[in-house]
Amino acid sequence: MRSNRKTAIGSAILLLLLIASLLYPLYGPADYDKKVMIINEAGKVIGSAPFPPSSEHIFGTDRNGQDMLLLLLYGAKFTLITAIVVAFLRVIIGGLVGVFISLWAPWLKKYVNDFFTVFRFVPSTFLGIILMLPVMFHEERQISTVVVYQILMVVLIGIPSVIVFTEELTEELLNKSFITTSLLMGASKFHIIKRHLLPFFRSYGILFTVQQLLTTLQITMHLGIFGFFLGGPTEGGIVGFDEPPKSASLSNEWAGLIGQNLYDFIRAPWTISTTIVLFFLVIQVVNMIKKELEEKMAGLPQLTRMPKLVQTSTRTVGNPGPDQFIFVNEKKSLGS
Amino acid sequence: MKRWLELPFRLLLMVAGFIFVFNLPALLGIGETLTFNLEPFWNSVKGNLQELTRIDDTSYISLFDEQNFTESYRYTMTIFCYSLLTVMGTGMLAAMLVQLMPKKISRVLKQGINFFEGVPDLMVIFLIQFFVIVLYRETGLKFLQLYGVFGAKPYVVPVVTVSFLPAMLLSQFLIKVLEEEVVKDYIQYSRAKGLSPLRILIIHMLRNIFPLFIMQLRTSIWIILSNIFLIEFMFNLPGFTKVLQLVTLRGGGFLGLVICLLLFILPLLVMEFLSLIAIKTVNRKESASI
Repeated sequence: MRSNRKTAIGSAILLLLLIASLLYPLYGPADYDKKVMIINEAGKVIGSAPFPPSSEHIFGTDRNGQDMLLLLLYGAKFTLITAIVVAFLRVIIGGLVGVFISLWAPWLKKYVNDFFTVFRFVPSTFLGIILMLPVMFHEERQISTVVVYQILMVVLIGIPSVIVFTEELTEELLNKSFITTSLLMGASKFHIIKRHLLPFFRSYGILFTVQQLLTTLQITMHLGIFGFFLGGPTEGGIVGFDEPPKSASLSNEWAGLIGQNLYDFIRAPWTISTTIVLFFLVIQVVNMIKKELEEKMAGLPQLTRMPKLVQTSTRTVGNPGPDQFIFVNEKKSLGS
Repeated sequence: MKRWLELPFRLLLMVAGFIFVFNLPALLGIGETLTFNLEPFWNSVKGNLQELTRIDDTSYISLFDEQNFTESYRYTMTIFCYSLLTVMGTGMLAAMLVQLMPKKISRVLKQGINFFEGVPDLMVIFLIQFFVIVLYRETGLKFLQLYGVFGAKPYVVPVVTVSFLPAMLLSQFLIKVLEEEVVKDYIQYSRAKGLSPLRILIIHMLRNIFPLFIMQLRTSIWIILSNIFLIEFMFNLPGFTKVLQLVTLRGGGFLGLVICLLLFILPLLVMEFLSLIAIKTVNRKESASI
């Protein structure tokens, strides 16, 4: 039995971050320690936001004088929850469609793929922008509707690839001899799914979800750069020298934080770099989980990216280790 | 379905998918709650279809002219070509190095390349941007131009930024493929005959993995194009992204948008065609061998 150590540690880290972020209202100040100017005893202004990282503000502050660390802590929950929800929805919807197509309507496969050609050719960031256009500008709207709409769109962008992956996986499994035998003996398709496919889907589903988690994080980051924030923009925005003020992310989720501080990069690089580094760490953690899951899958039928290709000729004829030998007389004694 | 109907039908489906996705915002009404409103959706689809059929309507041309269309397209495609060459060159070179180096060094190299799998592209972009700015501040050297303001057309920094991650991914792929190739019989045989490793690699292995290489190149081009889209926006470069943005935001009409998008993904279309040929070759070879 292989251990799940890395997966456990990785999930624990993400969970801790999520809990810390969810509990933020209990311990954190609502204005994120807002401090626009520092005034000395004589009443003179000796500094104004953005402040660089110091012992007081470990990650520095942004141009509004808000502490980056607190902002990041507050925003983490939105980033993580959205990514997880989107990844799950993508896998569940895409998986169901994929299984249905490959079991009940294989002839439909190429037509479905044709219908989704646009996702294979147009960069997903551009598609995301097109799809998010209606909720980009600040108008009076129910925030929940905006969020539901955005999540639906991000889910949609990932679904075609999940469908294709599921189809490939199911077809590969259907060709396995134990399933063809089962079919020949008269098993119904539901039986095949329940008995033979579901155990595989359980493990592959987790792997797919983790992969989709990565792509979701990626696309929210890109959309944030273009100013398409999850949860929509705020009225006030980042105060400063631009007129009208640049709109800010309402939810302070991480991609939005990158997007709203984009033009401060030269003057105050810490406003961006802290967020990016945290993003990087989260992605590394997710990647670590993914790698371990993939290694565990090595025993199961591998999902190859190019199904029609030459098989790999790996010849591993291992010799049985010395501990695997049992002498005949010992075997007898075991049996009796 | 009849054979001759198949192809037009599938083409029609592709167009339908395209139009469906681009009109999706019209389908979902955003009020108090999300509502399905078929009527605006249908109207907007009809409008788009009408626009697509009116080829003679050239109102979008003026919008194109305003942004000196050909100039920006040439700029973007130049960046694209340089990036593609860089990606192919670096990816190949890195993979060959890993293959030829002694085991110890190649393991370190491989770990280094694998590390970049999990690096978000934005981080690379920001790091390079930071590097260029710091270099300028410390030394006053300004040979690395970053932003596309005042009519400047930087090449070096965008190309490096765009091609960094795709090159890593390509070399990762090639390393894997070469490792699978090296255990094959013909390699063992030629090694037994005493051919030098370099000769085996260049003359035999590279030629045999060429179709796979072509197929992987599609992914590389896809990443390069997405990166170019991102970078031109972030560095404010006078490239094709500007035209795309204008057409989307200011409404250059659906036909204009379609033309722009097709032009933008032209390399991808060409690549798709090439990889179809590559797949055919591979399959033929496979059926020929036992």
